Amino acid sequence: MGSLKPWARYLLLLVAHLLAMGLGAIVLQALEGPPALQLQTQLQAELSAFQAEHRACLPPEALEELLSAALRAQAHGVSSLGNSSGSGSSSEASNWDLPSALLFTASILTTTGYGHMAPLSAGGKAFCVFYAALGLPASLALVAALRHCLLPVFNCPGAWVAVRWRLAPAQAALLQAAGLGLLVACVFVLLPALVLWGIQGDCSLLEAIYFCFGSLSTIGLGDLLPGHGRGLHPAIYYLGQFALLGYLLLGLLAMLLAVETFSELPQIRALVKFFGPSGSRTDEDQDGILGQDELALSTMPPDPPALEQTTPASASEQSPAC
Amino acid sequence: MCELLSPEGPCWARGFLFLATGLLLLSYLAYLVLGTGVFWALEGSVGVGVARDMGVRMSWGAGAQSPLPRSFWSLHHLPQDIIQAYKDGTYLLDNTTSMGRWEFVGSFFFSVSTITTIGYGNLSPETMAARLFCILFALIGIPLNLVVLNRLGHLMQRGVHRCVQQLGGSWQDPARARWLAGSAALLSGLLLFLLLPPLLFSHMEGWSYVESFYFAFITLSTVGFGDYVIGMDPSRKYPLWYKNIVSLWILFGMAWLALIIKMILSLLEMPGDMCTCSLHCSKGDIQGRSWSQGQEGEHRVQSPGVTSGTFHSGYAI
Repeated sequence: MGSLKPWARYLLLLVAHLLAMGLGAIVLQALEGPPALQLQTQLQAELSAFQAEHRACLPPEALEELLSAALRAQAHGVSSLGNSSGSGSSSEASNWDLPSALLFTASILTTTGYGHMAPLSAGGKAFCVFYAALGLPASLALVAALRHCLLPVFNCPGAWVAVRWRLAPAQAALLQAAGLGLLVACVFVLLPALVLWGIQGDCSLLEAIYFCFGSLSTIGLGDLLPGHGRGLHPAIYYLGQFALLGYLLLGLLAMLLAVETFSELPQIRALVKFFGPSGSRTDEDQDGILGQDELALSTMPPDPPALEQTTPASASEQSPAC
Repeated sequence: MCELLSPEGPCWARGFLFLATGLLLLSYLAYLVLGTGVFWALEGSVGVGVARDMGVRMSWGAGAQSPLPRSFWSLHHLPQDIIQAYKDGTYLLDNTTSMGRWEFVGSFFFSVSTITTIGYGNLSPETMAARLFCILFALIGIPLNLVVLNRLGHLMQRGVHRCVQQLGGSWQDPARARWLAGSAALLSGLLLFLLLPPLLFSHMEGWSYVESFYFAFITLSTVGFGDYVIGMDPSRKYPLWYKNIVSLWILFGMAWLALIIKMILSLLEMPGDMCTCSLHCSKGDIQGRSWSQGQEGEHRVQSPGVTSGTFHSGYAI
């Protein structure tokens, strides 16, 4: 495998990527196609039954027009559910009350982008672009700075365990990465999912886990969003939205820390290096080797052998300080 | 914990580090609040207006003709069902395009939006099996995507470097060459990925240029609200190459954006760098070098015996 030319490796990577996406497409189509079709036919039947029943007083086009308008508004995040009942404050409550607006800006900065709310006005859209253009690098810088402080904290237990159990550095790194990953998964996916499942009666545990995972990975489909659009007591609603906000920000940070730790593993480095450029490294290569995605994920530094040689030294020298 | 950070550094560097990080956190929060205020001011009235309009129309629809109590509730529930279905990705009225259905094109687009973490939400899985699969798929697919983006960005950067070298001959000042390469990458990418594609979108989708630019930016930054999605208008005919071009655009555009953000980060003097910077400020300028590269640089300069630098180099970026 190591004798593959660089271009062959790039090609392999691209093909693997395409295959993965195709596989995902096929599986999702198989899983989701039939139920969606079923729901569609069911709703169609309901719609035609309704129209047949009320043909006397409802012109055929009026309902379709109304529903199109409702769906168009929904696409931009404006819900018409629950507004016609006019119960007290909820009917006049704007989509953009303070906690929702805060959640919206957080969803931009973490690139989650739920979409349950989206800017409608041209000024809002322009500001959104401008805000993200400035805010994304800034939040990346913040995460990088925090990571710089926090990673030594997490590396300390790993180094201590490595010394106590006399593990090789590679094994210690693996254990540490696995431990951190497990910790993040428990604290930031399982625990919030349990809390959500307990608080919200209408979603199952799996749905809660799905939501937590979707938020943490910044995919943010927005199909399940806790507490939104329900007739909750204002204090609880505020609390819930702020809790969600805190969860988004902290969870993202924890996730990035865990991913950073994983990407430092020698096995992962070797895998990434396999797909990387081979041969002599020029100066410009050393400049640009460190690729980062929008979430400031790091890859390996230019010369792993030197680092692996120093890692045992640093680990053994640092452990007494822990 | 102090020893872990810099056993040989002066204490003021550690204090400075914490202060700087605290300031950064505060400014981040302030930025969040600022954005909140502006969106609230801009959007609050607009959203309420649309919702109120919808509410009026729906209550008119229910009560204007012969009002049977049953018809009111039916009218209330039926649109609710349809809207709920829409939120979950099933579009009922008219024919929907292949992008809006769980057929191959739609599912492929969903996989793309999952792996790249854009997550439009125009289609979202409802069955639990699909959701579980989605989680697993993303767990593996997102790192894969990151590796691909990393390599793509690297390739693009090398391409830009070579172009710059060929055009400018051999520059005496490497820092200046880097600046030039950086701005060349920025400008060419800006044109190619952010300024020109919206023209295509506005032509194909019928959006205005501003809306198309907004869509392009929100997609490439992987925010992906889903209020604008390509290929969802059933009244338009989309040629076969259109969606493929858009997928390619997403891939390369994201790689370019990642490159640009990395360059921006490398221009900022990170507060986190102050810790190691305090040890090596005297060793020459760290100006114009990426802060992460600065750590490797100092690692190479140092002997392996110095714990602070190697500790960071061993575990940090």
